[in-house]
Amino acid sequence: MMKLNNITKVYGSGDLKVPVLHGIDLQIEDGEFVAIMGPSGSGKSTLMNIIGFLDKQTEGTYALNGKDIKDSKEKDLARLRNEHIGFVFQQFFLLPRLNAQKNVETPLIYAGVSKAERAERAKDLLTKVGLKDRMGHLPSELSGGQKQRVAIARALVNNPSIILADEPTGALDSKTGVQIMELLTALNREGKTVIIVTHEEEIAAYTNRTIVLKDGLILEDKKVTT
Amino acid sequence: MNIWESFILALSSVWNHKVRSILTMLGIIIGVGAVIIVVAIGDGAKQQLSDDMFNTDENAITLQFEPMMSEEDDGMMWMEPPTVTSEDLAQLREVPGVKSVLGTNNGWGTFVNNDKSSEMQITGVDNQYFITKDLKLLEGRRLNTRDNDSYSRVVMIDSLVREKLFKADEEAVGAIVDINDNPYKVVGVYESMLPKELQEIDGFSSGEALMPRTLIAMMFGSQEIDTINVIADNPETVSETGQAAAEKLNEIIASEDGMYIPDDMAKYVEESEKFFTTITLFISSIAGISLLVGGIGVMNIMLVSVTERTREIGLRKALGATRGQILLQFLIESITLTSLGGLIGVGIAILITTIVGSFLPFTPILNPVIILIGVLFSSFIGIVFGILPANKASKLSPIEALRYE
Repeated sequence: MMKLNNITKVYGSGDLKVPVLHGIDLQIEDGEFVAIMGPSGSGKSTLMNIIGFLDKQTEGTYALNGKDIKDSKEKDLARLRNEHIGFVFQQFFLLPRLNAQKNVETPLIYAGVSKAERAERAKDLLTKVGLKDRMGHLPSELSGGQKQRVAIARALVNNPSIILADEPTGALDSKTGVQIMELLTALNREGKTVIIVTHEEEIAAYTNRTIVLKDGLILEDKKVTT
Repeated sequence: MNIWESFILALSSVWNHKVRSILTMLGIIIGVGAVIIVVAIGDGAKQQLSDDMFNTDENAITLQFEPMMSEEDDGMMWMEPPTVTSEDLAQLREVPGVKSVLGTNNGWGTFVNNDKSSEMQITGVDNQYFITKDLKLLEGRRLNTRDNDSYSRVVMIDSLVREKLFKADEEAVGAIVDINDNPYKVVGVYESMLPKELQEIDGFSSGEALMPRTLIAMMFGSQEIDTINVIADNPETVSETGQAAAEKLNEIIASEDGMYIPDDMAKYVEESEKFFTTITLFISSIAGISLLVGGIGVMNIMLVSVTERTREIGLRKALGATRGQILLQFLIESITLTSLGGLIGVGIAILITTIVGSFLPFTPILNPVIILIGVLFSSFIGIVFGILPANKASKLSPIEALRYE
């Protein structure tokens, strides 16, 4: 469970202060499927960065599983990212010189997992996302949808509780996009908390809860009960 | 992530940019290679100098007569050294630290056998010479006391002279050769005392011959003893022994025309060694500048690499890499780059030294310590010049880095 309390974020300093978030109160339970929406400049990327421990809030408190991260150092944040968050990016961000399997293994290197175990887990997950026969391929040899599935396998490899996807279908055609959303939905059903940042209604429709941001504040928080 | 994995990662990164890596390493390769080659050649030259060039025993010292400058004379006048006898030399042998004393004289002769001829130095010796020098007799006999006493017209030649004057199957011992147009009998052949490498050089030496010194004195009208060699018991105190022997000799001779002073070969060798050390040091420091420039090149490329890989760094951070891990990755990469350069430099240096060595009259000496220092120093350069780029990489914010186009 993550709990955000009166979170603000101000970029810059002095006369050049740019406030982006004005006080966000948000609670996301384990296993939720959430879409964060909003026009560009609304602060949704900043909010995602804070949730994903890529950035720290200026004011307010953020607690993950009851533990406040306020005093966490850079090193602790790196560890939190590694253990709790699986990132999926619009542009995939695969390392171009590593094959699919090695890309998936990367987070495990930083977690200090042994080589044999890394290979095993990466292979398992690539099989799970349907890329069993593409493990040795370089990103340049994969289609957009395949790349995103490698990225999802990478996000899952350290068994995080939260998947943070930033416009995961933004660079894909609609048919491939549907496949990726189905994959994320399946992961949510398995118990992962899935948070998607998107500006597309169709994507948000897959989720159970839609949070709409505007000008750094939550405009709407709508739960769909199924 | 452990060091080994970082190293493998770094190697693959170097491999992925082969041309760039080689160009980057070039400064290090040249620097390390040059230092090793220069030191190897310098050491070889020094070794040769003290071993062979002077062809002298480390514990031998020559006593030379230095004429006194009289006040009436304008400048130097050639002064004939006073006569030194075998008895005088026998007294010198009593000086503490003296192992033996050699009295010799010299001549220059044109040797002719049938249609072959050769010019060479002739050393006039007595029996003591053979006791002191470890001469290897190949054919015939040595000169003896009787030869000296009876002014025998006999000569010993070394293996080089034998090669020059005689056919391989021709009998040398017993042959009569003309020396400066007079006949002399060859009684023995000994192995040339020149080092092997020098023997093989064409025209470097035509060999040497030995004759009774009484005969030399008669032939050339010189003193029976004009060169005095003192051989000390202990090579380390050879200068002191030489000095003591010279003082003793001056006491015996009591000449008013001048005095004997020790002419220290070791001193020449030492001075020449100093000269080579200075040259080696000078060239090495130029090579050191190449290392410095090479290091700056590495830093430059690493900075470019960090900029190029900004997004990779951001991603790795998002996936859980800490600042320390990124720093280590880039540091290991630059260390790998420079160490590899160092190793290539060592390889090239060994190759070049071997090739150049075959053209030199002496063998360059590859110093394992210098090689080790070369490799370690190149690694060290990797650390020094890798810190800045690695630090820059580690400080990148993951959000900024991921947004970087």
